[in-house]
Amino acid sequence: MQRTDLRRLAAAATVAVIGLSGAAACSGDKSGSDGGSGADGSAPLDRNAKVTITIDCEPPTTKPVQRKEWTDDIAAFNKIYPNVTIKSRDASPCEQPAAYAAQLKAGTEPDLFYSYFTDLGTALDAGQVTDITKYVTPETVPAWHDIDPSVLHTFSDGGALRGLPRNNYKMGLIYNRKLFQQAGLDPDKPPTTWDEVAADARKISALGNGINGYGEYSAANTGGWHFTAELYGLGGTMVSAGGTRAAFNDATGKQVLQNLYTMRWVDQTTGATQGFKWPDLMTNMVTGKEGMYVGAPDDITYMVETLKGNYADYGMGPMPGGKGTLLGGDGYLFKKGLTPDQIKAGIAWLNFELLTPGKGQFDWARKKADGLPVGLPEPFLFTGASAEQDSRNKAASATIPLANYKEYVGTQVPGRVEPPHAQEIYKVLDTAVSAVLTDRNSNIDHLLKTAESQVNQVLANS
Amino acid sequence: MAALTVSPRTAEPRTPSTGPRTRGRGGRRIRDNLTAHGFLLGAVVCFALFSWYPMVREFVMTFQRTRRGRTTWVGWHNFIQVSHDPAFWQAWRNTVEFTLLALVFGFALPFGVAIVLNEIRHARAYLRILVYLPVMLPPVASVLLFKYFFNPDSGLFNAVLRVLHLPTSQWLNSAATAMPSVVIAATWMNMGSAVLIYLASLQNIPGELYEAAELDGARLLRRVWHVTIPQTRLILSLMLLLQIVATMQVFTETFLLTGGDGPKGSTTTVVYLIYNYAFNFNNYGGAAALSVVMLLVLTGFSALYVRLSREGG
Amino acid sequence: MPASEPATRTLISPAQLNRPRGRAVYWTVFTVVVCVFTLVFLGPLYWMVTGGLKSTQEIIQNPPTLFPRHPEPGTYVAAWRHLDMTRLLLNSVYYAFGALLFQLVFDVAAAYALSHLRPVFGRAILGLMLATLMIPAAVLIVPQYLTVVDLPIVHIGLINTPWAIWLPTVANAFNIFLLKRFFDSIPADLLAAAAVDGATPAQALRLVVLPMSRPILGVVSIFAVVNVWKDFLWPFLVEPDPTRQPVNIGINSLALNVSQNEIIAGLTIASVPTIILFLIFQRNIMAGLTAGGLKG
Repeated sequence: MQRTDLRRLAAAATVAVIGLSGAAACSGDKSGSDGGSGADGSAPLDRNAKVTITIDCEPPTTKPVQRKEWTDDIAAFNKIYPNVTIKSRDASPCEQPAAYAAQLKAGTEPDLFYSYFTDLGTALDAGQVTDITKYVTPETVPAWHDIDPSVLHTFSDGGALRGLPRNNYKMGLIYNRKLFQQAGLDPDKPPTTWDEVAADARKISALGNGINGYGEYSAANTGGWHFTAELYGLGGTMVSAGGTRAAFNDATGKQVLQNLYTMRWVDQTTGATQGFKWPDLMTNMVTGKEGMYVGAPDDITYMVETLKGNYADYGMGPMPGGKGTLLGGDGYLFKKGLTPDQIKAGIAWLNFELLTPGKGQFDWARKKADGLPVGLPEPFLFTGASAEQDSRNKAASATIPLANYKEYVGTQVPGRVEPPHAQEIYKVLDTAVSAVLTDRNSNIDHLLKTAESQVNQVLANS
Repeated sequence: MAALTVSPRTAEPRTPSTGPRTRGRGGRRIRDNLTAHGFLLGAVVCFALFSWYPMVREFVMTFQRTRRGRTTWVGWHNFIQVSHDPAFWQAWRNTVEFTLLALVFGFALPFGVAIVLNEIRHARAYLRILVYLPVMLPPVASVLLFKYFFNPDSGLFNAVLRVLHLPTSQWLNSAATAMPSVVIAATWMNMGSAVLIYLASLQNIPGELYEAAELDGARLLRRVWHVTIPQTRLILSLMLLLQIVATMQVFTETFLLTGGDGPKGSTTTVVYLIYNYAFNFNNYGGAAALSVVMLLVLTGFSALYVRLSREGG
Repeated sequence: MPASEPATRTLISPAQLNRPRGRAVYWTVFTVVVCVFTLVFLGPLYWMVTGGLKSTQEIIQNPPTLFPRHPEPGTYVAAWRHLDMTRLLLNSVYYAFGALLFQLVFDVAAAYALSHLRPVFGRAILGLMLATLMIPAAVLIVPQYLTVVDLPIVHIGLINTPWAIWLPTVANAFNIFLLKRFFDSIPADLLAAAAVDGATPAQALRLVVLPMSRPILGVVSIFAVVNVWKDFLWPFLVEPDPTRQPVNIGINSLALNVSQNEIIAGLTIASVPTIILFLIFQRNIMAGLTAGGLKG
């Protein structure tokens, strides 16, 4: 929700291929630390139990409304569980790689610590995570069976659940509806293939006045990040199944770079200024100089809340190519060494705040009353009945034009997680993307080959 | 690793009886020594914990690797790994480029400015305060300001260039100009101290030397060359070395201006690479290996500095 | 033509300056220097102060405006509240003056002991301390950080505590060097006389040495405060908790979360205390800088 791409990008790099890691059994933090007798392990928290838990990522003072909602929710939660004390730490951004690594190393993270999906490997490496599998049941988390299994999968390691999700997103194409209209394009029909993107970009660039049809990041790892998302869109993969070798040096990888090259040098629809990184393209879009770029739904929140743009001006379509898209998200992991009551209290709070349709972060009616935007296609943690209930709630309180995201929500694009060692790999591909965008004579085959060998080295060294 | 721990206790002798050649009675001598070491204790503990022990640990770490909480000995593996990282050589090239550019701007420019300021007879205090003002600002303020100025589209610098009908630049957004842009910002932030130090040393030049040179018919530039520079040679060479050692360690400026890497890694510096290895890639052994390489390169300059400053002090 | 300081002979002779042509050149150069300096050094600050008064759209628009169209002083209030400037500034003050205190106590005591009490192994300890002058600070960042995470022997972590900033500043060989050399210049006879009068070493330090050492203590103090105030990487690593961050780190962490005009207002607020301190103590600061720099 209030999270930004940068923060999720900032994920520390040592990341296990989620679900592929068979070595989970030796992570060695199971015995003893989960405590509790097996018999009552799955029982919900005893209301009389006196427990204190700490949690981070409380909305910062820069977001006074969200902060108040959080505090109110704790008060409401304490009506049900008067003996649970929740101590919140604010942080903004919720995660910074150096600080995240530092707290794991020092063991100073709170009991429930904010993590990206891709952080699980790092946290396991540091031996700082508790197995909460037996505590999470339909009794403790009523929406349990409706939570998207692929989301839970990202916080699991060898079948053991280590955390609960808070938010998830899929990348798509963000576009400027105003410029679409001015260029004679239909603002309700975003392009769905790269050929259409290029064609629309030509029309938008033709408006002149320094307006660019399409924009792309190429610095601070965001270039490699977008390369990955676009590669997924064309059906490609970043690394081989075992996570041991680079797999992007193929026709799809070439196509991704070729698309960018064509727009930059043949069509000249991306402008001469390059080297963008998060959040430069959003600034350009708010100032009306950018037609389209690849991003996540909460970019729109950022453009409105921080950059003071208008919701009506921005639309979102599916990832061009439509064969897949980058999926990401975040949630809370449970610190090692918590007592069973602390774990239960933590689950009760996360269930209350993050995983109950109509409550906490899904209390859309309250958000509307508080003047917060309602209607963005994020998060989508639920399936089945809970998902339907949430959509109904959201539609009933929508404050922003839901129709602007119709194509994005209505098109089923399979989400795929980031590659292992994502940040190191993105860094390598930044160079390839940057070269294509700044060097008219760049040799795509050569760039991919170089990137491939460097990524192979990254994977070999891990 | 434990065997190599330099604990404050072992670093600080508790057995004064081994101390030879002290006159006076034994008891008195021991008491004096205890007092003296009591005075030393705080500093020695801090040095031991935060300088001596980390130094030793760094060398140990270069031969180790830690995964999932288990530390193993890996020989020269870390050095081999970092030397095969293309970013390693790029970081060194960038660091040397920054240092050389910073020498032109951060070394020659302040000297020129100091010479001019020294000739000015009015508003001296005002000008000095102006030059030194940026040094006192929190670095985050100066750096973020320049970041906004450098923005190719909405930044002040390109706006000014456009008004003057001069070609605009991509500044931090292009691999070719990113590092020079960082140098411009760094010079603005830091040149004040160098200017003031040069000014102080210029004021120590005896006026007779200039008079004598003038009588010999030396014109302005010759006087600079034959009087000013020789008279300030010591301070110039000290500042040169100081500047080299300081600029080779550049981190904050690039980290805040470009996020560290810059376009195509054009502002990746050695210290940023160390930071990346340690805190983003979780590879402390590699970071230690990089640090040791940097230490070897810089120690020469530092040693020369210490020697010169002792001679001159 | 009243000169602000007694004219000593410099590169250009007074006679040359008093010739009509010399005067013309002088005043031209003077005007150019004053204009350029004002523009280069005050210009960015002007942009910063006015930037905080602009609206969000105005500050990211192209081309930028010279004057705020509709000045909004409310941005400063919002920045103060949103960035929690009170806390950030107080944190910085706490770290800077705590570091100053520890350095003054420990380094002065150590330099005094090394200079006048001459303990066994004193020379070796001094040598080991001065040897660290040759180790560039950045090189030690990683093992220092790991040490602070988990102190050897006692196994205490200092992350998120002020100790992580205060104690490492004591290990400053430059302080020891400056102080010891200054103390060396205090005649041993003075201290011997104090000892004859029955003064303990601590009393001698307090009553004889310290009163004579004001200038050098001033230099050390200024460096101590300024270094901590301006440091970035170290506090960034050891104070991850946002409620404990100094102003440098706090503002930077929030820079992407708050609209640009608020951030610029925050930068202005963060700069004010140092600018005021500088204007008050400018003579001492500049004198300290040249003394430390020259002799360092």
